[in-house]
Order: sequence, then C-alpha cells, then structure tokens
Amino acid sequence: MMPYVNEFDTPECKTLAETAKKSIRTPESLGLDRCIQCGACTASCPAARFTDYSPRQIVKKVLENDRSVLGSEMIWSCFYCYSCNVRCPRNNSPVTIVQVLRQMAINEGIGVEKLAYFLEIGEYLAENGASKVPGAGIKNMERDLGERWIGMKRNLEPIRSELGLSARDVRNTHGEVQAILESTGYFEREKWIKARIQEKGIHGFLKTNCTENKKNSGDFGFESDREYTGQQALTV
Amino acid sequence: MVGQEYPGVETATRYVFDRLGVDYYINDEQSCCTGIGHYTDIFEGLTTTAIAARNFAVARRCGYPNITCLCSTCYAINKEACEVLNTNDEVREKVNSIFRERGFDDLVYEKGDMNPRTNFYHAVEILLSKVGKIREEKKFDFSGVKAAAHHACHYYKVKYLDVVGNPENPQLIDTIAAACGAAPVRWYEDRTLTCGMGFSQLHLNKNTSLQVTKTKLDSLQRAGVELMIHMCPNCHIQYDRYQPVIEKEFGVEYDMVHMNIAQFVALSMGADPYKVCGFQTHSVPLEGFLEKTGII
Repeated sequence: MMPYVNEFDTPECKTLAETAKKSIRTPESLGLDRCIQCGACTASCPAARFTDYSPRQIVKKVLENDRSVLGSEMIWSCFYCYSCNVRCPRNNSPVTIVQVLRQMAINEGIGVEKLAYFLEIGEYLAENGASKVPGAGIKNMERDLGERWIGMKRNLEPIRSELGLSARDVRNTHGEVQAILESTGYFEREKWIKARIQEKGIHGFLKTNCTENKKNSGDFGFESDREYTGQQALTV
Repeated sequence: MVGQEYPGVETATRYVFDRLGVDYYINDEQSCCTGIGHYTDIFEGLTTTAIAARNFAVARRCGYPNITCLCSTCYAINKEACEVLNTNDEVREKVNSIFRERGFDDLVYEKGDMNPRTNFYHAVEILLSKVGKIREEKKFDFSGVKAAAHHACHYYKVKYLDVVGNPENPQLIDTIAAACGAAPVRWYEDRTLTCGMGFSQLHLNKNTSLQVTKTKLDSLQRAGVELMIHMCPNCHIQYDRYQPVIEKEFGVEYDMVHMNIAQFVALSMGADPYKVCGFQTHSVPLEGFLEKTGII
C-alpha cells in the first residue's frame, strides 16, 4: 500500500461508491446513486466501441462495492473523452469514477507499469513550467512519424525564433512549481511508483496491448449514413 | 503542447487577436496546467489544483484575471480546479497552507477569488464573439472550401453547461469558418467522437486509439471534406501527425488537411502561412491546399 495515499483523490471510505462521491476527481453533484443502468454511457463510449470496455458495467461494480474492479484491465481503457459525462441523463459521470478507480489501483500497486511512460512529465514541469511529449513517447512517435517529425523537433528553436517566440518554451515560475510539487508530496509519490515499477521488473511493456481487442468493426452507422455526404452548416 | 508541437497556433492567435482589438497579455510566469499529467493519472488532484491556484494568482497579479486557453484540456482543468477551490474548504486550506509554508503568501487563494463560469475562456469563444469583425477583416476569401469542425471533447463534454451553444452539437468553429467564407459541413457521421488520443491511450493502446481516429477520418473522407479545423493541440497531433501513420498502417488514403481555427482565421486575414501560421511544423503538408486556394 502506498505510504503517500492521496487522501483527496481516494478518501478512505467504507464503500467504493462513497470514495467515488467524496473524491475531488468527481463533481460534487455526482449522480452515482441515481444510475439507472440505461447504458447511455456505453452507447456513447469510443472504448466500448472497439474493445470490451463498458462504463455501465464499471458503474454497476462500484455500486455493488465489488473491489475486483480495481484489478480489472478494463479500467485502463477509458479515453477520458467525457462523452459519458455529457450524455448521462442522471448526472452521473463514469469517466471521473474511472479516474478514482485508477488512483485506487495505483495506491495498491496495480497498473503502475502503465505510468512508466509519463513519469517524467512532473520533473519537466518542475524545471521548465511547461509540458512536452514524454521521452518514451518521443521514441514511439519517432518510429511512427519518421524523419519529417524528428527533423522538425530538431529544428524547433529556429522555427520558434522565426515566428517571433522565445527559442524554447520555458516559463518563468521562480521555482514555485518545483516547490509546490515538493510540498504536495508529488515527488515522494513518484518515487514510490518508480520503485514499484522496478520491483515488478517489467520490460517491454510498451509493446503489448493492454486490452483484448474484440476486433469490433466499430461501425455504429446506419446504412444511409454511409452514403451521407454531409450537409452545409446553418450558421449564425 | 502548443509551444512544443505547433507554435504557429500561438502566433496565429496573437496575429488574429491584434487585428480584432482584443486586449490580452501573455505572461510567461504562467505554467502548464499539467492536464497531460493529470489525465495520464500521474498527477493527483491536490497537485493539479495547487498548480492551478498558482496560475490564478499570477493572472490576477498582472491585472488580467480572465484566463484564455489555446487548449481545451487547460480550459477544463482550470475551470474544475476553480470550482474545487471555491467549494471544498479542506482542499483550499491545504493548498493555502502549502503556499504559506513556502512563503508564497501572494499565491493564497480566497474563496470566490475566481469565478469558474466567467474567468475562463477558450480562444475559440473569443473568436466567436468577434465574428462580425472577422468577416470585415477578411482579406482572402475561402469560398467553396468544404471544411469540417472537430470541437474538442474537453471544451464541450466536461463543463457542458458552460458551452456556447448546444453541447450535443457545438457550432463555434463552423460559425467562425463560415465568416471566413468557408462552407462548413454541418453534420458528418461521428462528429462528436473523440479524436482518439485519449491521453495514455495513444501510447498504451495505440491500435484502439488509431482505430478511433481512422473512423473519424473515414467519415470526413466520405463527406468530401478537404479541410478539418480543430481547437486543441492534442486533437491536432492526433489528426495531423497520425493521418500519415494511419494511411500506412491501414492501407488507406485521405485527402484532407488540418489546422487550428486561429490559423484559419489568420490566413483569411492575410497572414503568412509560414511566418505567422507556422505550417512548417505540420505533418500533413498544406502546400496543395494553399496552392489550390491561391495563397501561395
């Protein structure tokens, strides 16, 4: 169990539902108890369309206080696109509940290997006050995007200067961001996560897919939609 | 993310704001909101909220308390953090105790210092509010350009009650593009589907991520769209950088090019495609489009 449990994301409560409702990741007005299992969330979900992910089932497990959901690979498939958040007729928000579940899983050391990719975001933010694609992502993107992209990345400083911007996107935060990250316990938590990843000794995780791909076509469209060439906008 | 991948979005926004008479100030003391860290699950809510509280103080201190974002995730993160700071006394006290302990008394946030509904805007809302002037300032007419809008999820699906228009079918980009003379496609299949980036999904479940993006690009291709206009650097990366990857991996071909709405408005006002819009950092080459429309 993580010694630096973030009490605001995952407040300790008797049930998963209570934790989800109290967490600062979910809206104050969260309609979790009002869920009628209508499935509007799953019907609007991009992950449900292409994988076996189901926000409706996740909400059901939370309401049943079934803690096995924390170990489910499913919770790592959400896109955080908030389609379920906007479409829920009961003001529930599966997308923010999943964020709480992931934090609870991380507290127990579950799924930490999935964070390895992104860990340097914190250090980069502390140092430069800005964000960038993390290092491991750069390597992946370089492989995918090839010479044109990496050439642009190498050439970014003169390009920015030509546009009249500072050569590098570095912010003048007077060390305050670094200090904030120290004081909230961010770095301690990061260190704990790094140690768990090492313990698990996971290598090559980047090459594997996290979810079973159902080979769904993802095709929700009606036959007539496929022929639909789009209609001009009515603008104001 | 704008600064690292598409710096032309920033310069195009400045160019357009200057011509529209928007009174703005770019403060390099503002840090990244770290939405990228928050939504890849490595930042917890307390840190994200504290970073936001610092940025709010910076904005108030320089006399420009209305924060306008070029990225939809920054927009949502800031609004949510503001709401937490106003409603959750425990979190606000914790954040303030950190500031005091570090001697950052000027960063302390008092309840109600910012209003989540009126202090936060996305640049596209500013452009929409000046759409009449955009029409007047038009130096270059995009008549007949078939354009499609992708409104960013974190603009209209997170704090959906604050959206300008209907969150089930936002029309901000369409309205602005039409003012520049373009012919926006009102509805195309999967218009409200995410771009597919999904924060960690692009890196952890790349196959699914690209399938989502492909679904959207397929639909645009069927609708005969030649220009896709977006409002968020993450969507921009997903569409512009990954369109060639999808073409290669799935054996398909697409005819559309991509740009941010500010870049499109800047072009319409006569801005240089490279010195202002920064198209040299794009992955899908825009030369064909620029030649066809007579810009170069």
